[in-house]
Amino acid sequence: MIKRISLVFLLGFILYLFSTSIENLADIYNSAGKDFFRDNGFYDTGSMNLVTAIYLDYRLFDSLFEAGILLIAVSGVMWISQHNTLEKNATFMLDKQKTPELFITFSRLLYPVMLLFGMYVIINGHLSPGGGFQGGAIVATAILILYYIDISKSIDVNKILTIEKFLFILLLSIAFLSLITRNEVFTNFIPVDGSAGMKSIFLILLNIVIGAKVALGLIAIFTAFLKEGR
Amino acid sequence: MNPILSFIVILIGVYGLATSKNIIKSVFCVTIIEAGTILLFLNFGVYEGGLIPILNAIGIEIVDPLPQALMITTIVIGSTITSLALMLCIKIFHHYGSIEWKVVLKGDK
Repeated sequence: MIKRISLVFLLGFILYLFSTSIENLADIYNSAGKDFFRDNGFYDTGSMNLVTAIYLDYRLFDSLFEAGILLIAVSGVMWISQHNTLEKNATFMLDKQKTPELFITFSRLLYPVMLLFGMYVIINGHLSPGGGFQGGAIVATAILILYYIDISKSIDVNKILTIEKFLFILLLSIAFLSLITRNEVFTNFIPVDGSAGMKSIFLILLNIVIGAKVALGLIAIFTAFLKEGR
Repeated sequence: MNPILSFIVILIGVYGLATSKNIIKSVFCVTIIEAGTILLFLNFGVYEGGLIPILNAIGIEIVDPLPQALMITTIVIGSTITSLALMLCIKIFHHYGSIEWKVVLKGDK
């Protein structure tokens, strides 16, 4: 009991420190960065959506390592969920699963629309809200609904992981392409004075690769959980 | 949308992490901390009348796009970290027969 009371007092003290440091927030935080992105963002990157402009051009280095973390986490889930060969007779959740008829009928109507919407969100990531990460999650949901309809069709998870590794190498090579054309790494490979339409080739390409990578990673994680539950 | 309120959410997660007796509850507390961090970051650069950072008209006032771009990566990484932790929970349950911290830390099967 004494431990909990002292913990509450400690957390209250941390809250007090935070609230005193946030008082002069207007001095710490200024709008210089926002004005820079608003004035130069479209010319530099060719992207109307400034969030896409940041994570695919100004901070592409961060996004590459973030895709790498996704790959490492998916491989970790795959490696941890390896089955013991002794448990041959274990009944998995997958075998007992019976999908309701109503679910099957409605999801057959719904999944093409979801797939189309996910691809729209991926491809229009530089013009409207969206991008590779969000669209990849939508596409993964649509494909998992398809998997739920006919559960006997098995997805080979190791093959998915191999494709994902190759996609990560493709992502790195597209990001390194600017070393040849612009003489600097991790930026757009179209020259700076190119038109916005030309620059968006790079954005669409990278959004499609990231979207495919996120979708495959989420499918692999979900399938591993389905095969683990028993 | 006060920074102090979202910091309180983070502190609630820290309190739960320190006092929870179940491993699944600890994983939930990590996700609560992550949600508080996302709320805290999205507070910065937001002001009344600021629009979403998409330049589809000339001369609009936008909010700061940098915290939003950082939080995209946080959401994706957070989901993968949660899935990795839950998979470890399943393996711990199969090995020890329980997911209470007390049983697991004692160490015998």
